[in-house]
Amino acid sequence: MIAIEELGLVRIDDRLIHGQVIAVWCKQRPFSRIVILDDGVAADAFMQEVLSLAAPPNLKVDVFSIKDGIEALNADKLHWETTMVLLKTPLAAKQLYDGGLQYRALNIGGIGSRPGRKNIFKNIAASEEEIAILKYLMDEGVEITLLTVPGEKSKAFSALAGKL
Amino acid sequence: MINIVLVSHADLGDALIRAAEMIAGHAEGLYSVSLLPGESPEGFGAKLEEALQEIEGQETLVLIDLFGGTPYNVAARQVLKENVECVTGANLPMLLELVMARDDASLSELAEEITQVGQESVKNLGPMLRK
Repeated sequence: MIAIEELGLVRIDDRLIHGQVIAVWCKQRPFSRIVILDDGVAADAFMQEVLSLAAPPNLKVDVFSIKDGIEALNADKLHWETTMVLLKTPLAAKQLYDGGLQYRALNIGGIGSRPGRKNIFKNIAASEEEIAILKYLMDEGVEITLLTVPGEKSKAFSALAGKL
Repeated sequence: MINIVLVSHADLGDALIRAAEMIAGHAEGLYSVSLLPGESPEGFGAKLEEALQEIEGQETLVLIDLFGGTPYNVAARQVLKENVECVTGANLPMLLELVMARDDASLSELAEEITQVGQESVKNLGPMLRK
């Protein structure tokens, strides 16, 4: 098992890099690198440019498909503690975990509503399938916290899971 | 006439349009697309595409509220379309300039011009007025 707790933050946020991530998280903690793991963005050079453009110059932004990202992160463990991994969905979090990056903590920062998803906490919505995935990760021992930005009200997924 | 599309968090775009019309009077060709709390980027993107469909192919300036925010992430791609320019940092002076100058300038000139106007409109009054 990889000592993945060394990773600075593993976060699900379907907005990826945006105001909350840059203005709040990256000011409160010394992140040096954001790694976006998303098959769609990995295949979209223009979107990568849009996301990188808005990041401060001292923050490195890398984008990989989930498969390539697992390899890349495993091959280069330098600065893991100042790396933020951004994912769009619970499914991506499961693929990452099952693919061999067995993180111990998972932050859910934002999952937008859409048909088939219900709101579970503040700006976080999930489908039945996604709730099942989060329960699976919880049962694997991953500590899942629902929190947009440090200082805001947070909730442990384990405290919600019984009611979902 | 160049269309103006405000792309913003919550009601900012609608409010800017109302404020601009309060000063410059009713204007045609103004649109606003808002990202609502809890809305997914995909849902917001679909809403934006739908709003733009009506004016597809026409000269359009997309005025985005916050560089680096989700409306920016979603709307920036519009700049790849012909006849579209995107500018971030939307404020009232920029929108007023757009409404008043859009008949006399090309779209790309207008984009440059309001970028200047936006930057010059921010003043710290203390050092200027407390003498």
